[in-house]
Amino acid sequence: MAGTAHKGVGASLPRKEDARFLLGEGEFVGDIHRPGMLEVAFVRAPVAHARIAGRLKPAGFEGRVFFMQDLDGVAPIRAVSGLPGFKASDLWPLARDKVRHVGEAVAMCVAETRAEAEDLAAQVMVEYDELPAVVDMEAALSAPPALLHEQWGDNVFLESLVDGDLAAIRARAEIRITRRLRTARQSMAPIEGRAVLCEWNGRLGQLEMHSAAQMPHITRAGLSECLGIDQGAIRVIAPDVGGGFGYKGILLPEEVCLGWLARHLRRPVRWLEDRREQLTANANCREHHYDLTLHADRDGRLLAIDCEAIVDSGAYSLYPFSACLEAAQVGSILPGPYTMEGYRCRTWSVATNKPGILPYRGVARTGVCFALEVTLDAVARAAGREPYEVRLLNLVQPGQMPYDNITRKHFDSGDYPEAVRRAVAAIDLPKWRAAQATGEDAGTDMADPRGGRRIGVGFAVYCEQGAHGTSVYHGWGIPMVPGREPCAARLSPDGILELRIGAHSHGQSLETTLAQVAHEVLSIDPEQVRLVHGDTAMTPYSTGTWGSRCMVMSGGAVAQSCTELGERVKAIASAVLDVPPDALQLRDGGVHVRGSDRCLSFAEVAHLFYRQPQRLPPTLEAGLEVVTGYRPEVDTGTFSYACHAVVVSVDTQLGHVELLDYVIVEDGGTLVNPMVVDGQIIGGTAQGIGTALYEEMPYDMQGQPLASTLADYMLPGATEMPPLRIEHLQTPSPYTRFGQKGLGEGGAIAPPAAIVNAINDALAPLGVELTETPATPRRILAAIEAAEVERSGSGTHA
Amino acid sequence: MKHPVRLQVNGRAVEAQVEPRLNLADFVRDHLHLTATHVGCEHGVCGACTVLLDGAPARACINFAVRCDGRDVRTLEGLSCDPVMVRLRAAFTAEHALQCGYCTPGMLITARDIVLRLPDADEARIRVELAGNLCRCTGYAGIVRAIASVLEARLSEPSEPSEPR
Repeated sequence: MAGTAHKGVGASLPRKEDARFLLGEGEFVGDIHRPGMLEVAFVRAPVAHARIAGRLKPAGFEGRVFFMQDLDGVAPIRAVSGLPGFKASDLWPLARDKVRHVGEAVAMCVAETRAEAEDLAAQVMVEYDELPAVVDMEAALSAPPALLHEQWGDNVFLESLVDGDLAAIRARAEIRITRRLRTARQSMAPIEGRAVLCEWNGRLGQLEMHSAAQMPHITRAGLSECLGIDQGAIRVIAPDVGGGFGYKGILLPEEVCLGWLARHLRRPVRWLEDRREQLTANANCREHHYDLTLHADRDGRLLAIDCEAIVDSGAYSLYPFSACLEAAQVGSILPGPYTMEGYRCRTWSVATNKPGILPYRGVARTGVCFALEVTLDAVARAAGREPYEVRLLNLVQPGQMPYDNITRKHFDSGDYPEAVRRAVAAIDLPKWRAAQATGEDAGTDMADPRGGRRIGVGFAVYCEQGAHGTSVYHGWGIPMVPGREPCAARLSPDGILELRIGAHSHGQSLETTLAQVAHEVLSIDPEQVRLVHGDTAMTPYSTGTWGSRCMVMSGGAVAQSCTELGERVKAIASAVLDVPPDALQLRDGGVHVRGSDRCLSFAEVAHLFYRQPQRLPPTLEAGLEVVTGYRPEVDTGTFSYACHAVVVSVDTQLGHVELLDYVIVEDGGTLVNPMVVDGQIIGGTAQGIGTALYEEMPYDMQGQPLASTLADYMLPGATEMPPLRIEHLQTPSPYTRFGQKGLGEGGAIAPPAAIVNAINDALAPLGVELTETPATPRRILAAIEAAEVERSGSGTHA
Repeated sequence: MKHPVRLQVNGRAVEAQVEPRLNLADFVRDHLHLTATHVGCEHGVCGACTVLLDGAPARACINFAVRCDGRDVRTLEGLSCDPVMVRLRAAFTAEHALQCGYCTPGMLITARDIVLRLPDADEARIRVELAGNLCRCTGYAGIVRAIASVLEARLSEPSEPSEPR
C-alpha cells in the first residue's frame, strides 16, 4: 500500500475534472446548439391564486403557442407519498383550471430566439378570476383564506405524529423552555439555472433530452409517466451541471412540456431558466415554523422534546421527493445527536400559494438544528451553565456506539463530545469570555446603553444521516426507493478503465474520487480511469445524486466492481503467465507474480483478451466488463457530524453582524480525498452563512414574491466569508467499504444555529433572543428595540 | 431591425448584424459559439459572464452587442495562452478553487485582472475585488488562496513562464 497511498483513498489528489472548466471547455446544456433549434419561453401566472377564466393565443401564431389542452396525452406530475393520510396534488405541466402560485407556467411559446419567444409570450392573453392567496403557513392551517386543492377540504398535505407520553417527565422537569422559531423560505440558487434541450431522434424513435439534472434516471422515469411513452424511448443526458444542491433533483413541468414539444414539432427545442424564473417560479425550500418545548433537569440534562412544527410545502407535491419530505424528516431527526427519555412531535406539511419545495442541501436538518440548538442554549442559560457543557451532558457517548436513538435512528460510530471539546479549545472560549467581561477587543462602548459592538460565541452540533438506503426509504412510499447502487467497470482494449455510474457529479468531484477508489482496489493510475455518468443510455439505473450518498454508494459500487474485475484480470494473467491466480497480485498498474519480476500491465491484459484471444484458453469465459450492485452491510445510513463554533461581533446600532472566527470540528469517517472534503465543508458552510444572515424569499400578502433578482436575494460573496478553520476526527463507519461517511451536506446545516446562538450570546445582556432566520439587521434591531420597550414598561419606542 | 456591428473578439475581426436588444454574452455565445462565457443572472450581479472589454473586466450580460462597435472583446477562450492565465489555471487546481466550474470563467477573468492591477493585494483586498463574482460551491476559500499564490509567485519571480505549446 505504501507505494500507492498518495493516489488512493486518503490522498488529496488534484481534480481530474478541472482542466476543461479552466479552459472554458465544460459543456453545460446552454452551451449546446442544434441545427434548426427553437427556443421556448413560458407565460407564467402573475397572481398567486386564481381560476383561469379565459385564454387567447395571438392571431397568426396558433401553432407557436400551447396551452395545457394542446398537450394531448400528457398526464400531470403526481408525486405521492405512502405515509398514511397523505393527499396528492396534480401538477399539470401547464396550468389547466387554476394557478396556485406566481410563476406557474400557463402557456408555452416557441420561436427562433428566446427574445422572440418572449415577445410571443407577452401577447398571450390569459384572464384570471383571482382567489384569496394562502401565504402564511399558520393561517393556511388554522384559518385558511382559501383552499388550494378544494377536494381536500383543508390545506394539509400530511399531518403526522410521533407520539410519546410526556406527563411524568413534565411533572419532574425543573427547566422547561418553550420557543417559537421560524426559518425563512430560501432559494437554492445554483449559479447555473435549470436548462432543457429536447430533440426527437426518428431513427431510434427516441426522445433525447439534455437537462441540467442531478438524477437523470429518475427524470426519465417521471417523463415516461407524464408523456405516456416507454422509458426505452427516452434518453436523458445530464452533461456538465452548474451546481445542484437539491434544486436539480426534480422532474420539471418544463421538462415534460419540452419533451412533448420536441416530439410534436420534430425539431430541437430549448428552454433556459432565467434567474427571475429560478427565484420566483421554481422550487423553494425550508420555510419552517416550530413551537418547541424542551424539558430538562436543573443541570440542563435533557429529559424530553415536545414539538409542533409546520413546513410550508407550497402549492404542489414535487417529483420524486413529495411535499412531505421535510416535515416527515423533522419528526424523525429533531432529537439530533442527543439522548433523552421522552419525545413527541407533531408536524404538518401545509399547502400555500407558493412554489413547491425541494430538499435543499441539509434538507430539514438545517431548520431542525436551528430550532433545537437555539432552544438548547436557552436551557443552558436557565441552568446557568456554558452552552457547550449542556451539550456534553446530553450528547450520545462514544461508548454507546452503535446507538439507536429515541426515533430509532441507528448511529454507526463517532465521538460527539470530543468534537465539542476540540471546538471549545480551538475557538479559545476563555479568551472571548474575558473579552466580553472587559469589553476589550469588542469595540464595546460603555457610554452607549446598548454597549456598541458586542461579542458573542455560539456553538452548534448536528448529525447528518447520509447514504440511507432501501430500508429507510421504502417506508416513505415516494416514487423513488434506492436499491443496490450499481457500477459497470470495464477495461478498454488498451487498458483504460471505464466506470459507469448512474449518479451524477456536478461539483462533487466524483471523476477524481471514484478514480482514487479504483486505484485503491486495482492500483491503476487515476489518469487511466474515465468516469461515465449523467446519461441514461450509457449508465446503469440509479436514483442519482442526493442525500450525501455518492461517496458511500457509488464509491462502494466502484470498489466492488473493481474487485471483481481484478479477479478476472488475474484469471487472464494466470493463464498466460502459467501461474495460479493466488500467486498474482495487483500493484503498480498491473498484475504481478509474487516474488518475481514477471508482470503484465492492465493494457497488456486487455490487449490479450480483446486482440489476441487465440492466446487464451477457450475455457476462459468471463470478460473484462463487470456490473455489480453495492449495498453497505447496514443500509440505514452513515452518520457524520460536526461541532461548529463561531465568534460574532454585533453592531447594536446598525444590527450588522461580523463573523470574527469560525471553527468546524468534523467527523466524516475515512476521508477519500481530504481536499475535496474541505471544499464541500467550506462551500456548505458558505451556504449556511447565507441561511443564517442573508438569504430570504419573502412574499407579500397577495403571495407576490419580493426577491426576484440576486440584488434582492442575497448570496454570500467573498467578503461575507469568515476565516474558517477545520479539524477532522476520522471515526470510520463500520458499515461502508473504506469506513467513509456521507458528508456533502453537513456544512450547510449548523451555521444558522451556531451564528444565531452567538448573536444571542452577544445580546443576552440586553435581554434579546432571536428565534428567526435570517438574522438580518432589521430583525436584530427590531429585537433590540422590543427588549428595550419591555424593559422600560410603556417605553418611548411606541 | 438589426444594426451592423464591427468589433475585435479574441484578436479576430468580427462583423455582424444584431438586434439592439442582443447582449454581448448572448452574442459571443450564440453567434460566435464562444461558450466559455457563462450566463448566470442576466442582471449584472453574479459575474459569471465577465469578459474583458478594451482590457477591463465587464459584464457581458448588461452590455449590448451594438454598444461594443469598434471595441476589443476578450473571452476566456482568447486567454488560453496568456501567461497569467496559465499560472492561474494551475493555482486554481492546486487550491481546489472550483467545483461545478460554472462561475469559473468569470472568476478567472476577474482573478487575472486582480493579479495584473494589484500586485500587492492582500487577502482582504482580493476578497473585496471578488465581490462582483458569485460562487455557490466553494465558499471562495480556494479562489482567494489561488489568487494570493499567483501574486506571491509573481513577487518572488516576476518573469512569466513561456507560452505553452
